[in-house]
Amino acid sequence: MMMKEWLSKIGNKGKDPDKDKQAPASQDTTCPFTDNLHFNLECLKQEIGHNWDVHFREFNLGRTGIRSVIIFVDGLSDKDLIDKHIMPSLMVDFSAEYKQNLPYLKGSISKEFIKNEVLSISEIEAVRSIKELASKVLTGSTALLIDGSLDALLLGTAKHKTRAIEEPVSEALVRGPRVGFTESLSDNTSFLRCSGEIENLSLVKFQVGKRSKKDLVVAYIKDIVDPELVQEVENRIKKIDIDSVPESGYVEQLIEDNYLSPFPQVQNTERPDRVVAALMEGRVAILLDGTPFVLIVPVTLSMMLQSPEDYYERWIPGTFIRMLRYLAAILALFTPSLYIAFISFHSGLIPTKLAISIIGTRSGVPFPALIEALFMEIAIEILREAGLRLPKPIGPAMGIVGGLIIGEAAVQAGIVSPVLVIVVALTAISSFSIPHYSIGITLRMLRFPAMICAATFGLYGVILFFLLMTSHLVKLKSFGVPYLSPAVPYRLSEWKDLMVRMPLMMMKRRPKMLHTKNPIRKG
Amino acid sequence: MILSPKDKITTPQAAVIVINFILGTGLLTLPRSSTEKVQTPDAWISVILGGVITITAGLIMVKLSQQFSEKTFYQYINDIVGKWVGGLLSLVVICYFLTTSSFQIRAMAEVIRYLLLEGTPTWAIIMIFMWVGLYLIIGGINPIARLFEIILPLTVILFLVVTFMSFKIFEIDNLRPVLGEGIVPVLKGVKTTALAFSGPEIMLLLIPFMNSPKKAGKALLVGVSIPLIFYVITVVMVIGALSIDGVVLRTWPTLDLIRSFEVAGLIFERFESLLLVVWIMQIFATFTITYFAAALGLAQLSKKSIHPFMFGLLPVLYIIAMVPKNMNDLFKVGDFVGNVAMFLFGLLPLLLLIISRIKGGKKHETIT
Amino acid sequence: MKQSHSNTHPLFISLSVLLFLSLTGCWSSHEIEEQSLGIGLAFDKAKQSSIEKKLNEQGGAYSKRNLITTTYQFITPQVASSTTKQSGPQQKSYVNVSETGDSMHQMVRELSLRSEQPVTAHHMKVVVIGENLARSYKLEQLLDQNLRESELRPSCLVLISKGRASNTLETKKAGEIPAFRLAGIVENAYRTTRILPPMSHIKVESKIKSGSSFLMQKVLSADGQVKFAGAAVIDGKTHKMTGTLNEEELEGVTWITGKGKGGVVKSFDKETGQPIVYEIETMKSSIIPHVKRDSISFDVNIESVGRLSENWVVSAGTFKNEFLKNAEKSSEEEVKRLVGNVLEKMQKEYKADVAGFGNRLRIEHPKVWNKVKKDWDQRFSEAPINYDVKLTINDYGTTGGSKK
Repeated sequence: MMMKEWLSKIGNKGKDPDKDKQAPASQDTTCPFTDNLHFNLECLKQEIGHNWDVHFREFNLGRTGIRSVIIFVDGLSDKDLIDKHIMPSLMVDFSAEYKQNLPYLKGSISKEFIKNEVLSISEIEAVRSIKELASKVLTGSTALLIDGSLDALLLGTAKHKTRAIEEPVSEALVRGPRVGFTESLSDNTSFLRCSGEIENLSLVKFQVGKRSKKDLVVAYIKDIVDPELVQEVENRIKKIDIDSVPESGYVEQLIEDNYLSPFPQVQNTERPDRVVAALMEGRVAILLDGTPFVLIVPVTLSMMLQSPEDYYERWIPGTFIRMLRYLAAILALFTPSLYIAFISFHSGLIPTKLAISIIGTRSGVPFPALIEALFMEIAIEILREAGLRLPKPIGPAMGIVGGLIIGEAAVQAGIVSPVLVIVVALTAISSFSIPHYSIGITLRMLRFPAMICAATFGLYGVILFFLLMTSHLVKLKSFGVPYLSPAVPYRLSEWKDLMVRMPLMMMKRRPKMLHTKNPIRKG
Repeated sequence: MILSPKDKITTPQAAVIVINFILGTGLLTLPRSSTEKVQTPDAWISVILGGVITITAGLIMVKLSQQFSEKTFYQYINDIVGKWVGGLLSLVVICYFLTTSSFQIRAMAEVIRYLLLEGTPTWAIIMIFMWVGLYLIIGGINPIARLFEIILPLTVILFLVVTFMSFKIFEIDNLRPVLGEGIVPVLKGVKTTALAFSGPEIMLLLIPFMNSPKKAGKALLVGVSIPLIFYVITVVMVIGALSIDGVVLRTWPTLDLIRSFEVAGLIFERFESLLLVVWIMQIFATFTITYFAAALGLAQLSKKSIHPFMFGLLPVLYIIAMVPKNMNDLFKVGDFVGNVAMFLFGLLPLLLLIISRIKGGKKHETIT
Repeated sequence: MKQSHSNTHPLFISLSVLLFLSLTGCWSSHEIEEQSLGIGLAFDKAKQSSIEKKLNEQGGAYSKRNLITTTYQFITPQVASSTTKQSGPQQKSYVNVSETGDSMHQMVRELSLRSEQPVTAHHMKVVVIGENLARSYKLEQLLDQNLRESELRPSCLVLISKGRASNTLETKKAGEIPAFRLAGIVENAYRTTRILPPMSHIKVESKIKSGSSFLMQKVLSADGQVKFAGAAVIDGKTHKMTGTLNEEELEGVTWITGKGKGGVVKSFDKETGQPIVYEIETMKSSIIPHVKRDSISFDVNIESVGRLSENWVVSAGTFKNEFLKNAEKSSEEEVKRLVGNVLEKMQKEYKADVAGFGNRLRIEHPKVWNKVKKDWDQRFSEAPINYDVKLTINDYGTTGGSKK
């Protein structure tokens, strides 16, 4: 709640001075667009002319002597298009085709004429407000103003710089499409459209951000999804009241159910196949312009531990890998805390031979298990973070070198025991095997409180930590869907796709928790 | 407390709640308490009989509550016996739940102190436990039911693994002869074993929360049968391994069963940690559901929001838990609670059912 | 489906505060390397060690009667690290310390005055009781503290030693840990019939409680070596040791109870006088009690299947059934001899039922048992026992022997 108020306050604070500033400008725009090119130009220059990258190119229309001007932003607009299609049409072809009519044309060049007969480009619209014109120009459109015309024409020349389609970095797969979303919203929606003709795919557009407006698309399949869910998603998106939304992470945080929870309640993904699969299950995807990360709601914990590959591989290896991942999640969360509990509290509960060898390796270690474990765990977290920031070629090398050297040296120096190094390594490996980055971080982070619980109450503390965490999880909901479903409440029919991944033959229905209109997935 | 329409639980959830309520301290002490009374290896038969009796009593409670499927016991008892007597009985039931709750945490704290955390003060063990419980029950009946659903499979798997490990020291001779001294000793133990099944009373409160109150009977049957299986396995394995002479001497016989063998070669070698995990989770379940039942009672009695009662009961629970001075006192509290339960949930529901039938019958007559 | 803003912040905050506060406690935390793992324990009649005497002379004594000497065998962190880290010639991998006094628990705690790492009993593998002590104290007195405390697991074994129990916890082999050696030998029951099923604390306790006589494994020691030899007879009434069964007698008991998992029977061929060895694969015995009025009698039927594992009779061909029949016969004779021998000893010499006859009676005739259980050992010594042995050789290994 606090955070939200704070955010909205910021939004409000931003708004008030904004209005003051806008006052003169809006006055300008209220003055109607005149047919005087000179006057209009002055207005526009006042509005945006101070920007160095806004180009005003004045010329005569054909050889008519009618002054015109096109305005565009260097870099945003497609200069190629302007040079090869717009300018020639206006300056050369115009005169050639309409020479005979020239004398009569002056003063009566309507937007319809230009639109219908002169310019051969696809996007074209007329506007009558200076402000709208200015803002469109700044996003890449080219404005065409003609002396004596009451309309300004906006030509769709926006050319966003996009990168080539690449394999998603954050979710690499061995098997599966090598396509990842890009920063361009239209590309991303096209990915969805392209992945087979999806019947009834709805892409509803919203704008978010007060100052920097961004397009946001809510995608769902109309005849599958629960309309209540769509309604809720749209409501929450409409409620977003913030200056700008640089990344879909902002949207995620503003629409999630419980912002105090350490668990992510919205899934983000770079993989179109994942999104399509989610849509087919009756979920809703949220695409934001300018980021390759698409949000999927509602999500469950089990989803976070699954990978599309589970379904691409045959069901037996798929099941095996999935079980392995569950095991990894448990290990990542509890290994260090169990180590602490057994070493510092319950030496009586470990096998005798193991106890003797642990005692042997630990006898020189000056710290209690908690300090020892914290030291190594934090070191490895820093290493991980450092490896992430470093340039790609040296990142992995640094991770391995750092890990090996620190581990080896710490053991040599007698600061930590070799058993702990094994534990820490096991934890780290396990946490990296979790396919979803955000949940991996959550689990890695949660192991620290678990360690503290273990250091206070031993095994009892670990059990209580588990109970507390589970208590939290059973309360958590993601857009009305219990976070732990379908594990609880028991839905035996859906356990086919929980810990195990039964053959596709047997998974005939969509998840019930999503209250889909059309529950049958496979005949 | 007003029940929001979404605050409903499914039939399996109701069954799971009953299972988790029943499994608690009994898991560790039942082999001793039953053998003490029976004195022959037939204690497991008393356990089965006790279970059957519990099912009967539970079904009576379910029948009673189904007549008022929109109301909890605290609400409908006023309709049956009037406001004052009803209020009083509600208070007694609330006290029963409070004491059960406290008894559970104290017993838990004692075992933890004995086995895991020698030297940690009882207050610390209890307090941290109560806070976690409070955090859970603030969410209402639904999160409780879901948490129970998570710990049930864990319990079943770990428990079965652990007990079947003890086959190593199991000797069938310890369980023989069956009924060597007739049925009489078995009957002596039935009261004790029936008390170990206290838990179906939650049905008095659960029915209005259920999706389909009509299936409450089924939920109860499943809810008692599974603990019955657990208890029989426990008693059979413990007596089989330790013999009746060995069982009566041990304070926590089930724990001693697990401590009496080591399986070399497996990672653990010693399995009591697994049993304790199961047991602590089961105690947590019993604790939270009784805590919730007590808070719900107070809230419905006073017709106020439940949350202040949840917070308010925390110190009360703590104080009750700290009252028993030693283990013997603690077991006495357990016996006392059991005796109260027998009256409250064995006889009273039957009485109430009869009264309500008579009253209902009269009303029915007047209408027709 | 509303975005929930639950009112659980104060709960979260207080919970974390509580946790952090209790972290300052860490009440029960004892790092594993700060403890010595106690792995073996020996009880003897008091005999102070030289160190103890020296300490006492300097005033290191408290008010006690010098009745019992306990010897603790433990692994200190120093020892553990030297054995795990160093390779090559090893030093002694255990430490033995003796204390004399009259209370088991007090003696353990006295140890804390002598070492910075207190001894814990979680990993105690074996408790050895000296014969002298076992003859003069009740077992439940000696083991009371062990059974009562939470540290020592009920799975810990109990043995009786012929000489001083502390000698069984000595070895001269580098790297060997005597307590593990003792605990390990018990596991060899599948190779010989001369080892009793493991007697753990919990079993000793239930036997004591049941009031019947029972056997406990005896162990000999000489020069740092040990041998399991025979069994001690513990009387059901006094709970003291009353006598000994030697190895062959113990073998007889194993045959009667049928609990052996493996082992050999050596007999001599009648014609040549050469040894024939029968190896047990399975062993089954049923004790059938018969009650007629006041008289109780038992039938013991022993059945076993096994193989011919060694044959010194050069002339015989094992491919011939005839020879196998003979071999069976002579092995049966041997088993009968063993059984008869031990029955004689149980009934006549010790007057104690240590082979579970009473237990069978309890199971088959619970009412009769209730009547006789008070003075069962007496009644047992008078009961007639018939026994029958049937061995079957179904295999003679990979050598057929001579076919002449």
